Amino acid sequence: MRPSSLTYQLERFGLVIVWIGFIALFGALRPDTFLTWSNFSTIFGSEAVLVIVTLGLIIPLTAGDFDLSIAQVLTLVSMSVAIMDARMDLPMAVVLPAALAIGAAVGLINGAITLYFRVHSLIVTLGVGTFLHGITLWIGNSQTISGVSMVLMEWVIIQRIFGIPIAFYYAILLAVLIWYMLSFTAFGQQLLFTGRGREVGRLTGVSVGRVRMTAFVLSGLLGAIAGILYTGTTGSANPSSGTYLLLPAFAAAFLGATCIKPGRFNPWGSVIAVYFLVTGINGLSVLGFRTFVQDLFYGGALVLAVMVSQLVSGRKERAL
Amino acid sequence: MSTAAVPRLSIRGLTKTFGGARALDRADLTVLPGEVHGLLGTNGSGKSTLIKVLSGYHAPHEGTLQIDGRDVALPMPLGRSEAHGLAFVHQNLGLLPEATVLENLIAGDHERLNAWRINWRREADRARALFAEQHLDLAPGQIVRDLSPVQQAQLAIVRAADRVREHRHHGTPGLLVLDEPTPFLPQEDVRALFAMMRRLTGSGVAIIFVSHDIDEVMEVTDRSTVLRDGKVVGTFDTATTERPALVEAIVGRAVRVARRAEPLPAADSVVQVTGLSGQIVRDIALSVQPGEILGLTGLIGSGYDEVTTLLAGARSAASGRLTLAGRSLPVPGITPARAMSERIALIPADRQRAGIAPDLTLTENAMLPMLGGALVLNHGRLRAATRDIMRRFAVKAESPDQAASELSGGNQQKLVLGKWLQRKPLLLLLDEPTQGIDIGARQEIYDRLTELCAAGGAVICATSEFEQLEIIAHRVLVFDRGRIKAELKGDDVTKSAIAEACYQAQVSHAAE
Repeated sequence: MRPSSLTYQLERFGLVIVWIGFIALFGALRPDTFLTWSNFSTIFGSEAVLVIVTLGLIIPLTAGDFDLSIAQVLTLVSMSVAIMDARMDLPMAVVLPAALAIGAAVGLINGAITLYFRVHSLIVTLGVGTFLHGITLWIGNSQTISGVSMVLMEWVIIQRIFGIPIAFYYAILLAVLIWYMLSFTAFGQQLLFTGRGREVGRLTGVSVGRVRMTAFVLSGLLGAIAGILYTGTTGSANPSSGTYLLLPAFAAAFLGATCIKPGRFNPWGSVIAVYFLVTGINGLSVLGFRTFVQDLFYGGALVLAVMVSQLVSGRKERAL
Repeated sequence: MSTAAVPRLSIRGLTKTFGGARALDRADLTVLPGEVHGLLGTNGSGKSTLIKVLSGYHAPHEGTLQIDGRDVALPMPLGRSEAHGLAFVHQNLGLLPEATVLENLIAGDHERLNAWRINWRREADRARALFAEQHLDLAPGQIVRDLSPVQQAQLAIVRAADRVREHRHHGTPGLLVLDEPTPFLPQEDVRALFAMMRRLTGSGVAIIFVSHDIDEVMEVTDRSTVLRDGKVVGTFDTATTERPALVEAIVGRAVRVARRAEPLPAADSVVQVTGLSGQIVRDIALSVQPGEILGLTGLIGSGYDEVTTLLAGARSAASGRLTLAGRSLPVPGITPARAMSERIALIPADRQRAGIAPDLTLTENAMLPMLGGALVLNHGRLRAATRDIMRRFAVKAESPDQAASELSGGNQQKLVLGKWLQRKPLLLLLDEPTQGIDIGARQEIYDRLTELCAAGGAVICATSEFEQLEIIAHRVLVFDRGRIKAELKGDDVTKSAIAEACYQAQVSHAAE
């Protein structure tokens, strides 16, 4: 396919077009509640956490591995931050590095088990994630912990630039960094070959094991950042927070892989997919649909996204 | 049928073309009840195409098939061959290593088994009776992975025989096709298999025995049919045929091809390998001088194709030393990254899995070895370098941003060659470099190799295509069961001499 062809450009920006269509539809139906800046700035700020979880997922996905534990890393880190801050009164200079260290350590554990024992990462991270959830419930006594210091909230959700909470800009900054890493570093290419041509990569000197390990650690770190921001956004830590983020993040990662750079997990596609999904759900709830639409929408989007990407790759095969 | 015996199988005028090339050209084959019928020929002679037509994998363009005198419509629907009394044992045997002998034995026997209830005790008794009848040392509860290679082969054969023995529709014994079941077996185990084949034919089963190995064919078959370039050269009575006649039938009269390898001046070698051992090869020593293409060949299972993978670090060697341009290093310590830093390059045989990443673009595929640990990739420059490779190696493609899967096999291979030659390797290792590649692309690849040699590069090329070696190789080493059994140089490097040496190697082995 010629990259400049119209169908290719439509494919790249199809999701953006549908997104705009959604906004127009909901805006026409509920102009005074949906189509307001405060509604949008709230969406942009509060869903920054989901954006970061999705960005964390696409790194191991690019290398051919799943990280189902990332949402529970978020929950554990969120809970740890709340405990260290609200209960133990530790300074942020200690809390934040400790939080990141938890994420990195989980990534190391995921990678070590996956690589050393040659177990599929789907199973390893499913188990590790559930284990982490157990730890979260244990240390938090199965309760929501509030009373997080204002400093954190100040720098996550209260400060605004152009009316949008600062958390959104953190997410965008991370998207830029990951985009740069995937597109402009040798490591990005090594990730790609590890996922899509592992034997070619291995024979061309890529140390596939180290690349996969690094991917797990990076997704653990991003899960930890998402956890810090979650606590900062809500001012509290809730032991079930991550449980509701895993499926939306997967839906966004796979939906994002159908646009901008179709066929590849890519950060800008992920960002757009997150806000597309959230806009849809926000719009439907503004129209008066109840909470069940969330599951219908996220679940449907995930299945639809993988169907679309299979159709696209199938069409390429037939074109040969 | 005029004669007394109605043939078990009769093929007439079978023709199959692949994109204009005739893989089978009006081939005839007659197999009688109770005989072992050899099917011989070099790679690309049409043996496997014929087998795949019988199993229903290929649809022929012309030709008829009769089994026990009854017409059978072609193409054979996949999975229907057993109902016609045909069963196949391929080289990989088709066993599930994790499952038990009994589970493997009854797997897929839908015709006999009740799909809703399997009586395991009765099946085990039946299996034991079957093994006793064939004098096989197998128990129904054993895990297949724990069996020796010959036991696995026996299980696969007894399973196939069981499916067609009663030939449930027609009440006549069936036909087994054994497709190269022996190359990885030790000599004494091959004998055990032959005894089993004889017991089967004693009960009226017919066997088609596909093999590269003339000695085995001479030993076990009643008659043999030889294929060459898709045509049947002839069918021979084994007892009255001399070995050289069979070899000549397989190889054909010497037709000289344009040889490209010019004689080399005497020079010190740039590559030396000593004591190299891997899974098959044992204690190999070889050397290559600057500008030389060294060919490695042999029959399947001889280990000729292992040397390149060991030297490139694609698989780890058990022992051995490599001296390259004066630097000496142990072969077991070579990783792909180490090989690259020593300026060794490998063009692997499995292009779709190890040569290119089909989903990724030409630029990504070609530039991966040039990136190092770069933190600032200049995509414009990478694309330009890829365009340069595409131009120099005549890779026909629309754009360097295309997915590699959109290219033909020949263009993919030229890209892989360009990817590695841009690193100016001291030693280029090729493993079946022209597999599945059209004639034009082949010539272009030969051109590039000739250029590399003219510039003083050293090349080791492992291939089963003798003609290719006649064209490009200065020297050829012929492998047999893990060792070098013959060396051919200069004008002796001809297709027929190589084939002769391959089959000769086995004679000396049989004499051991």
